[in-house]
Amino acid sequence: MNTAKFLELVRDELELDSDLHVSTNLKELDEWDSMAAMVLIGLVSNEFDVNLTGDDINSITTVQSLIEKIGTERFE
Amino acid sequence: MSIKKNILITGATSGIGKALACLLVKDLNTCVYGIGRDEEKIQDLLGYENFIFLKFDLFKVEEIEELFKSSLGDIKFSGFVHCAGLEETLPIGLYTVDRVQQVFTVNVFSAIEIVRNLSKKKYSLDQASFILLSSVMGELGQPGKIGYCASKSALLGFARSLALELAKRKIRVNCVSPGIVDTPLTQKLFQQIEEENKSRIVGMHPIGIGEPNDVVYLIEYLLGDKSKWLTGQNIKIDGGYSIQ
Repeated sequence: MNTAKFLELVRDELELDSDLHVSTNLKELDEWDSMAAMVLIGLVSNEFDVNLTGDDINSITTVQSLIEKIGTERFE
Repeated sequence: MSIKKNILITGATSGIGKALACLLVKDLNTCVYGIGRDEEKIQDLLGYENFIFLKFDLFKVEEIEELFKSSLGDIKFSGFVHCAGLEETLPIGLYTVDRVQQVFTVNVFSAIEIVRNLSKKKYSLDQASFILLSSVMGELGQPGKIGYCASKSALLGFARSLALELAKRKIRVNCVSPGIVDTPLTQKLFQQIEEENKSRIVGMHPIGIGEPNDVVYLIEYLLGDKSKWLTGQNIKIDGGYSIQ
């Protein structure tokens, strides 16, 4: 998936008021909470067929770290 | 006209949905968006400036997202009431997957798909109130009512989970479960059964069967701020039917 499209998708699904960049720390977003984590897990599962675990969610920080968790080869 | 509240109603052309729309349009600060199939049945409502009819068949669940995009793009709702419902009597031996699917599509899946769209910030205000019309049959059973009972039960589970998911935005979700109310749906049911059976059903309601407005006033309360601490509940309104 195109990285810009992924950012847009995450921004839409988390209904973020602010801009989202690969360097944005997801955990520092006002909108970040357990529901947001659930949305992210569902989104990644739907789009990439990758099932993030609770440990994965604990360890991610920035969008870049999420992309690495999914697999950088899946992005262009 | 200064609109302060937008309310979306499914099943707005008949029974409780129509009675609710008729009550809500009397407040000119409220704009009622009624989803239904047959505008012939609501000629009286169409004259109101604050009533907007959305002709839509809820069987087409996959087109609901487009309905939001094309017709409700700039509307933020403060209330949603799912009144649309399909009722049928069919024993288990005849309940094929297709028939079950039909009942669930209108009674449950359409509500889930509407709320999937509606729960986004662009379509709903914080502190909105969503109400799903279940039935006393959501908790009780009756022979021949597998599809109806199962689907109305499903709404109760849906409402509880949804109430928790939307609590952050103080959006409340509740179910209203009526007993037998004198609506076209009930009249259709009564036509299918014998007089004796009909009397027995009516007799099971200690203070008689209900009128649409009996239920509508409860929904009005749930839509308003006076019920702001009430969420995730199933409120039975049935003339005492379910306490026996």
